[in-house]
Amino acid sequence: MILDKTVNVVANEALGNGNFLLTFAEETIAGEMLPGQFFMVGMPGSGILLRRPFSVCGLPGTFDDSPGDSLQVLYKVMGQGTQVLSGLGTGAALTVLGPLGNGFTVPGPEVTPVFVAGGIGSAPYPALTRACAAAGCPDPVMFYGARSAADLPLLDWFDDHCGELHTATEDGSAGEQGLVTGPLLRWLEGRDPTTYELIACGPDPMLHAIRNIAVPAGLRCQLSLEAHMACGFGVCIGCVVPTHGEDGAVDYTRICVDGPVLPAEKLAW
Amino acid sequence: MVTPDLTTSVAGIDFKNPILTASGTFGYGLEFTDFLDLNRLGGLVTKGLSAKPRKGNPPARVVETPAGMLNAIGLQNIGVPVFLEEKLPKLRAYDTKVIANVFGATEVAYVEACEMLGEAEGVAGIELNVSCPNTEEGGMIFGTDPAALGHVIRICREATKLPLIVKLSPNVTDIQLMARCARDAGADAISLVNTFVGMAIDVERRRPVLANVCGGLSGPAIRPLAVWMTWQVHQAVEIPIIGIGGIMNARDVVEFLLAGASAVQVGTASFVTPSASANIVTELEDWLSERKITSVRELIGGLELPPRG
Ligand SMILES: Cc1cc2nc3c(=O)[nH]c(=O)nc-3n(C[C@H](O)[C@H](O)[C@H](O)COP(=O)(O)OP(=O)(O)OC[C@H]3O[C@@H](n4cnc5c(N)ncnc54)[C@H](O)[C@@H]3O)c2cc1C
Ligand SMILES: Cc1cc2nc3c(=O)[nH]c(=O)nc-3n(C[C@H](O)[C@H](O)[C@H](O)COP(=O)(O)O)c2cc1C
Ligand code: FES
Repeated sequence: MILDKTVNVVANEALGNGNFLLTFAEETIAGEMLPGQFFMVGMPGSGILLRRPFSVCGLPGTFDDSPGDSLQVLYKVMGQGTQVLSGLGTGAALTVLGPLGNGFTVPGPEVTPVFVAGGIGSAPYPALTRACAAAGCPDPVMFYGARSAADLPLLDWFDDHCGELHTATEDGSAGEQGLVTGPLLRWLEGRDPTTYELIACGPDPMLHAIRNIAVPAGLRCQLSLEAHMACGFGVCIGCVVPTHGEDGAVDYTRICVDGPVLPAEKLAW
Repeated sequence: MVTPDLTTSVAGIDFKNPILTASGTFGYGLEFTDFLDLNRLGGLVTKGLSAKPRKGNPPARVVETPAGMLNAIGLQNIGVPVFLEEKLPKLRAYDTKVIANVFGATEVAYVEACEMLGEAEGVAGIELNVSCPNTEEGGMIFGTDPAALGHVIRICREATKLPLIVKLSPNVTDIQLMARCARDAGADAISLVNTFVGMAIDVERRRPVLANVCGGLSGPAIRPLAVWMTWQVHQAVEIPIIGIGGIMNARDVVEFLLAGASAVQVGTASFVTPSASANIVTELEDWLSERKITSVRELIGGLELPPRG
């Protein structure tokens, strides 16, 4: 069941370079939410009309120091909506619609989750890391890329909780200089594809690159997609991506209900 | 305190209250059962239906603009047959009036969709969308050319016995002319407005934000335009009007009623707050009670013009 709740900001912590970690508490949503699902977050009285989609970053228990029923959103200031959000202090009211979307499929017990994150695309991985551990997966291997070091929020957390952490920045300010696909391709080289599963979240060009690596090689790969959304629960039909339909023709699939996580081979873009 | 009478009647359809949901913003109704009791609504209008399913436009399809949003969905829908088979039987369980919104690429396709709906049990009326700005053949021609409008209404009128509500495009120079045309061709009621054609540009990339280049503007930004058009049409024709455009609360509803609407539709507000339509019913009841207004019908066309001096 999708719930529409008014909550108060518990914390809205600046992590540098326009990245923020927002915390609020909502017991019922927290109890039903899965990693990879998202919320539509509204800012009443702000003049922003539509709610904005954000993945769940932290579920209860994801972050050690956060209270029982709290939820976290990791976000980056992109435009007006996120600008307003970043200005909200403790106690400010938000409307939160969720849980929305399908979420990730947690890999099987012997399968290593391989996370690929581009910048703020790292948002859903803390909650997923915990779910993978609970399912008995080996520690995740993470490939974390961004424009520069300042856009690798929660890097320390991932360092503590992943089996391996490979970073890449376009300006070389952290990790390897270049795109995250560089270290990823080296890691995949000669490895048995039945032992791992790729999971990627980030900007479209990165997702395209991962799809182009995974699909021809027949690798298991889940992609968490983004689209402009008006409603978030399936009625505006605004959030579509082209997918391969059953009859071979291109279909438009709503990512707010059939996604945001889709198998890479389904996409027709 | 007496409970105010919210009932209203449009095109021979009796509604328990004047709050309907607008086509394309309420799916097929069933998507909203987590958020509100459909029995609370005067009526619901389905997503635009065509005789055959449609896939719609490429993304991006929606974007927020000041106090509103642009959409270019392209009338993606499941088609009349699937609606009749999968959605309508479930909708019959609710005590609310279901209006099927219909469009076609050609006159023949309009007639086909109307005939398919026939006298399907549970469909209270048809709303003809002659005004979608988002597809090349989405009916815009029918909504902007008086002769084409009159003709498509006439042949649909012959194709169905159901009450016929014609949804007008605001993208015209003379809305009164279009309203008279619709009435003369046999429309039982007029609903207005559909979205206004607009465009947003990503200035960094120098490209339109929407893949379709233009889209339809909805939301509070269009409300004054829609209220004005409602008032103009109210003065031009005597058939009932359903007012649409940027309604977010009961006060906004009253604005349309005073301008001459007998009922209203809530659109974009349902994206912002899924329970908006039902909330507005409650608010409207309170609004009337607080002012000791006994019937919502007292408000219809009740605008008082200041004396000219
Ligand atoms: C399922 C999903 C999960 C997401 N999770 C996160 C997350 O955890 N953290 C995070 O920082 N961001 C996330 N995003 C992206 C985030 O929603 C956008 O950055 C945000 O909507 C931008 O709003 P704005 O008003 O600041 O930007 P503006 O550019 O001013 O927004 C204008 C319009 O464009 C839309 N829009 C702009 N960019 C995007 C985008 N990339 N995706 C979708 N809509 C966009 C907005 O919703 C709005 O309608 C997610 C998007 C989706 C679809
Ligand atoms: C995403 C979206 C889809 C729509 N689809 C349809 C449609 O299929 N048929 C139709 O007649 N109107 C459609 N409309 C127009 C609405 O029914 C309504 O006329 C318009 O949005 C103005 O009302 P509002 O400002 O309250 O949203 C759509 C509007 C939106 C925002
Ligand atoms: S955001 Fe409205 S259908 Fe997906």
